[in-house]
Amino acid sequence: MQSILPHLINGLTLGLLFALIALGFTLIVGVMEVINLAHGSLFALGAYFALTTISGGPLAATEFGQWWLTFPLGTRYVVAAIVGPLLAGLVGAFLEICLRPTYGKASLYGLLLTFGAALVLEESIRLVWGAGEQNLRTPGPITGAVLIGGMIFSTYKVYAAAFAIFAILCVWLFLEKTPYGAIIKAGAHDSEMVRALGYDLGRLRLFVFGFGAALAGLAGVVMAPIWGLRPHIGLDVVIPAFLIIVIGGVGSFWGAVIASLLVGLSVGLTGAFVPAWSMVSMYILLILIVGFRARGLLGRKSALEN
Amino acid sequence: MNLSDIPPKGGSPFTLPMAAFLMLLLLAPFLVARFGLYHYLAIEIAIWIIFAMGFNLLFGYTGLHSFGHGAYLGIGAYAFGLFQHNVSTSLWGGLGAALLAAMVAGGFVALFLSHRRGIYFALLSIAFGQIFWFSSIKLHRVTGGEDGLLGIPRPPLQIGNVAVTLADNRIFYWFVAALAALVVIGLWRVVNSPFGRVLQAIRQNEMRARFVGYDVWRWKWLAFTISATFAGLAGALLAMAQNSAYPDVMSLHQSGLVVMMVLVGGGLVNFWGPILGVLLYFLAREVLGSLTETWLLWYGLMFVVMVMVRPEGLAGLIGTAARREAPAPPARIVETTP
Repeated sequence: MQSILPHLINGLTLGLLFALIALGFTLIVGVMEVINLAHGSLFALGAYFALTTISGGPLAATEFGQWWLTFPLGTRYVVAAIVGPLLAGLVGAFLEICLRPTYGKASLYGLLLTFGAALVLEESIRLVWGAGEQNLRTPGPITGAVLIGGMIFSTYKVYAAAFAIFAILCVWLFLEKTPYGAIIKAGAHDSEMVRALGYDLGRLRLFVFGFGAALAGLAGVVMAPIWGLRPHIGLDVVIPAFLIIVIGGVGSFWGAVIASLLVGLSVGLTGAFVPAWSMVSMYILLILIVGFRARGLLGRKSALEN
Repeated sequence: MNLSDIPPKGGSPFTLPMAAFLMLLLLAPFLVARFGLYHYLAIEIAIWIIFAMGFNLLFGYTGLHSFGHGAYLGIGAYAFGLFQHNVSTSLWGGLGAALLAAMVAGGFVALFLSHRRGIYFALLSIAFGQIFWFSSIKLHRVTGGEDGLLGIPRPPLQIGNVAVTLADNRIFYWFVAALAALVVIGLWRVVNSPFGRVLQAIRQNEMRARFVGYDVWRWKWLAFTISATFAGLAGALLAMAQNSAYPDVMSLHQSGLVVMMVLVGGGLVNFWGPILGVLLYFLAREVLGSLTETWLLWYGLMFVVMVMVRPEGLAGLIGTAARREAPAPPARIVETTP
């Protein structure tokens, strides 16, 4: 038992981080019934924007840049963790405007458009930030290792997991306890009725997409120190998010969270025994679950099935 | 709006576009040389035409949006290579092994997929594609891992007692082109046969097709398996062309690429769409690629704009232009024989 416990904890941590990635994805799928394949690219974009914010980027040589760089890394990191997701959210909002001609058509078109957008974003990242692997530096207090119950954990991972729980709760509170959340959920349930009640559906979609993209960017900032940053990380990220949504059931918030933990556990546990095959385990999990429950664990009927 | 309908047309496959296509296959080596491009490009285009046309049987005609089709291309390539390495150096044997392997893999996957529709179909096809891709990377001893399976020979073409060496790319092209012509003519027959009509009926309305009495799941299974087999053929030819097989072709990226080609060309509305898409992709790669390193960025942008304004693709664009020239035919109800 002692030998399996660390892997269990590792898997749960990974699951929480997956949940953070899937959060924006499930929001967009739930409200707009668009599978946003560019989610991973927005994730990468958020992290890259944060990277540039920390280093000062093209402004580093100017007076402003010099002044900016005098701040300690911790301050710059916090600012970057806000600026990165915001910019990713803006890009997401722009993407939503591009998506408008595909509304009301087969769900394939939204999928294809976001696939193209993912390609464009990835190539743009390669153009701007280069093809090499980069590192997002984390400030001193949250790096290093920590000893909990006789086991060594990376401090950063502990913080990241805690932050993931915090973010999941915040999004849940936002969706369940605020009037805005009620409108978003109503929009997912019956968009025509929401429009008839006088809500601007266009603005709602723009906001939801931007918000989902910002969550993707935030996940990028959180994950970048763990996974590293390379232009094609988007594809590596969007696939788990994708699987989680399908396992959990399209449009279900807690379904996505449960599915994330399951996927994290399966990757963590197979990683302990057959490390080379750990990533395949999540596909097998998907096939097992969707083979028996076509709509996923907590899924409801969706227009995407047609 | 639904995906536009492909009008059912029967009769002889030897139509004007078919003649144009065969002409293009004949002239391709000379055209390639004329524009100062390398000969290998013509081979690559012919192979991708086989892949894309077979894929469109599933994607455009049956309306099943597979995003993991590169896997069967890869399986064909590996099967061909493994046959050469482990059984015997034989062209027909290798091709047979590739077709069989892709057919078996496709048929197995289709068992899981044929009950699904829409986005769930797409997602499961991605999942299976990724499993094959991962396996090809991880099964080091069989596939050579990320380095790929190297040193696959190009066995001579043996017909009766006559053996033609295919080592020269110029001769190899004629072999690939002949197969491409056969595949396209064959597929033309398939989509215009009663079988093809059923597939289109499933795309238009699966439930109605079921109520008419077709065992929809079995037809979908068949369409997937056939499509995977064509991909296997393309894979075997790719293994011969490259003298090697890489896991790269099985990745989601490559599987997405063929979707893009088919869509940009207009495979959803026209039989010839995939060919236009393949041509456009490779021309873009050569022309834009010679101008800028980030040609994929421009190709991706073009694709995004295309989905936004002209989702019926290049063939749809040409079709619209042709219709504008000619006076619109009087509307009539298309009668279909049961």
